[in-house]
Amino acid sequence: MNGKYAMGIDIGSATSKCVLIGKDGNIAANSLIASGTGTAGPSMAVEAAFGKLGVTRENISAIVSTGYGRNSFPGADKTMSELSCHARGAYHLYPEAKTVIDIGGQDAKVLHISNGALSQFLMNDKCAAGTGRFLEVMSHVLQLDISEMSEAGARAEKPLEISSTCTVFAESEVISHLSRSASINDIVAGIHKSVATRTAGLVKRLGVIPEVFMTGGVARNENVRHYLSRELGVDIKTSPLAQYAGALGAALFALELTNNKE
Amino acid sequence: MSEIKSILSQLDCVAKNPRRQLDMIIDGGKNVVGCLPVYCPEELVYAAGMIPFGIWGADGKELSKAKLYFPAFICSVLQSALELGLEGAFDRMKAVMIPVLCDSLKCMGQNFKAGVPQVEFLPVIHPQNRKTEAGQEFLRSQYMKLRKRLGEIGTPISDEKLAEAINIYNNHRRVMREFSETAAKHPELISASERSAVIKSGFFMDKAEHTKLVERLNLLCGAEPVVPWDGKRVIVTGILADSSSLLSIFEKNGIAVVGDDVAAESRQFRTDVPVTKDPIEGLARQFADMEGCSVLFDPEKKRGDMIVKLAKERKADGVIVLLTKFCDPEEFDYPFLKRAFDAAGIPSILIEVDRQMVNYSQAETAVEAFREML
Ligand code: SF4
Repeated sequence: MNGKYAMGIDIGSATSKCVLIGKDGNIAANSLIASGTGTAGPSMAVEAAFGKLGVTRENISAIVSTGYGRNSFPGADKTMSELSCHARGAYHLYPEAKTVIDIGGQDAKVLHISNGALSQFLMNDKCAAGTGRFLEVMSHVLQLDISEMSEAGARAEKPLEISSTCTVFAESEVISHLSRSASINDIVAGIHKSVATRTAGLVKRLGVIPEVFMTGGVARNENVRHYLSRELGVDIKTSPLAQYAGALGAALFALELTNNKE
Repeated sequence: MSEIKSILSQLDCVAKNPRRQLDMIIDGGKNVVGCLPVYCPEELVYAAGMIPFGIWGADGKELSKAKLYFPAFICSVLQSALELGLEGAFDRMKAVMIPVLCDSLKCMGQNFKAGVPQVEFLPVIHPQNRKTEAGQEFLRSQYMKLRKRLGEIGTPISDEKLAEAINIYNNHRRVMREFSETAAKHPELISASERSAVIKSGFFMDKAEHTKLVERLNLLCGAEPVVPWDGKRVIVTGILADSSSLLSIFEKNGIAVVGDDVAAESRQFRTDVPVTKDPIEGLARQFADMEGCSVLFDPEKKRGDMIVKLAKERKADGVIVLLTKFCDPEEFDYPFLKRAFDAAGIPSILIEVDRQMVNYSQAETAVEAFREML
């Protein structure tokens, strides 16, 4: 256990993220691979992070795995639920955060943080509506790259209403807007609004305690954040590392594990 | 120790094989009357010389025929119970009692009548206003009707026989309450699944026999030293808490169930039937005395505080709310519960459950996170 770095790996449904931190708790390397559990994604993410520092497993003091695929990662010293890890990581990235909204590939979660740790949480139902997967399906329908969605939404002049919460119905709603030659930007804004409304419902059920911090892949979509912030009536902060919150939290737990053992 | 294990495995076997249990009772020469959720006057069945048999649906039952009768948004307890009925699982029963304590149950009775005509349907109609004299009078008259019909199906029900049945049931209730305390003291002896099986088996056995076994179990466990438990202690609340997948997730995470407010568990034996001169009056009074159940009208909504009190008594670390999908009464209660838990500073989580649930990974994540949080 004399490795220099502690490692956290977050194996989601659509992506794998790996974070290495030094003894000071600062991020030394991070990597993201766009394939998740059940693929080579996790090991590729580890290799990528190792490669950045030129290290091997020998240099790692402890590994904590989290996320949907946490139990299938060989070599983890411990697994932790993604809720605890997201809370921990978000707190590290933004210590003022009291409410964390995480929209990942297949689910949405809301957490409350008190004294730096998870105190309450709520997850959405087993349904893709309002998650990253929903946005992905919609971007395919609109033939946009997922990274172009935010800007397209921001350019909207008259955001449309997408009233179906169900991904399947929403898809046909979008298609019918398209066939009426509605502007793509307006449709995208409507889609973002619908994600925001649905997420806001979940957040309100748990309660909104400022400050609100957003993590997960969808956090990068500024237009979704804009509508969500409007729905909730509060500012929503995020960080360029927001997608790594889970892996970072796991790495911080791994560091704790190292310190406890030493 | 080995006797504890042997009683636990005997009851587990009963809980897992209701079908075999039913055949055994009937082949043994007794008649059986099915009892649907949430409350049936089982004492009347027992007093008529028959065995009441709990029908709370079945996990993992594929629904096909029931879909002809029910829309998708009816709880899986009733969907699977009706499916069983349509498949003929109750054909050997003399009758089935169906209360009308929630909207779904109201439709259940009618669907049962239409879909399972070969088994006599006995409606159990409880008054909404349980505590008023008019409500009580109404309930007594309903129970009198049932007494008459059950007496015809089985043997006539005298006051003495009914008083005796009430006595046997009150005794069972006492022993089950003691069991719940015993399980809270000895999570190392009684796992979450075993606790559930001990309680569930009571639905499928002659209560007098079940009492004997559980009483012996309590005695044996009580003689064991209390050892420290390094896992977490929780209270569960909801309609059901018998999913084997979920219970094994609890166990994997070192979670012990130290008390419950579950309709199919403690709510069945929390309240004794008062001993009165006219036993029918006692039966009706019990319905007025029961508290803290989502299907029993309560303008004061005492349920939240009751669970908080239980959690404190049993030194629970938190509460797990198992919300049966599409159960309106439970859904309506949840905001009150949550508020009560938060006010008392008791951590809680909500997990939606369903008898058709096959993927427990989200529930597992929630349970893990909850354990990490406590
Ligand atoms: S009370 Fe809930 S679970 Fe029970 S029958 Fe009614 S809807 Fe179903």
